[in-house]
Amino acid sequence: MGKSKQTGSHKKKNPGKLWKTKRRTKDLDQIHTDMKAETASKLLNQEVDFDVTGCAQHYCLHCARYFVDMKALKEHFKTKVHKKRLKELREEPYTQAEADRAAGMGSYIAPKVVEVKTQQVEEDMD
Amino acid sequence: MRIEKCYFCSGPVYPGHGVMFVRNDCKNFRFCKSKCHRNFKRKRNPRKTRWTKAFRKASGKELTVDNSLEFEKRRNIPVKYNRQLWDKTVEAMKRVEEIKLKRQAKFIMNRLKKGKQLEKEEAIREVKKNIHLIKAPHAGKAKKLEEKMVQKLQEDVDMADGDI
Repeated sequence: MGKSKQTGSHKKKNPGKLWKTKRRTKDLDQIHTDMKAETASKLLNQEVDFDVTGCAQHYCLHCARYFVDMKALKEHFKTKVHKKRLKELREEPYTQAEADRAAGMGSYIAPKVVEVKTQQVEEDMD
Repeated sequence: MRIEKCYFCSGPVYPGHGVMFVRNDCKNFRFCKSKCHRNFKRKRNPRKTRWTKAFRKASGKELTVDNSLEFEKRRNIPVKYNRQLWDKTVEAMKRVEEIKLKRQAKFIMNRLKKGKQLEKEEAIREVKKNIHLIKAPHAGKAKKLEEKMVQKLQEDVDMADGDI
């Protein structure tokens, strides 16, 4: 694990609560499937939903997060959290098949590198 | 009945042991022990967690590509029971395991050899760099200088004698 990645005053919330299945956030492999063109366009152009933050209009695909407005989303793209997430996504997701191979069922295959870029945002959105 | 492999650490999950997590997109994750389950919940990457098999393979600590690793497979084809085949298979399994263990051990020994060589090089470099701590840089040279001086003086004296 190494050094703690916490910087600044962003205190971690109660981890026990965060790990509950009820509050489960998306896994990296789920985000990889989200990144495919069809699902991506569906997620980025959602209908107005008043129950979701920002009426589901400002969604960060890679962090699987909704933002209040365009400004907040753009600010988010500049943050460390987002950049770190992009870096994590650059590797092919881990699978059960890889776990099996590591256990001696077949030879090791190195994970491929996937190019990941921050989503394009439309300027005229308000 | 199957002995599954743990999603996180690749250890065996025997029937009736461990936990299975079913994600809301119907994907199954099996864990051999709560440690693996907990780490999964924390969204840790098994490739980056040092104690998992996935890490050891990904970072070249263990034998990764070998024919002996190709025998154990998930074969989703039912085979009719045949006593002879059974006997042969069990025998082959033992033999394959034996060869595999030998090769894995050899791989690790070879890997460690490199470290020993590097250690030796490093030691030599360190001694070369810090030799002045053991031997003073001008040690032994004083006597030589003295001899040279004496010789030169002698020469001077001889020359002076010749002039007169």
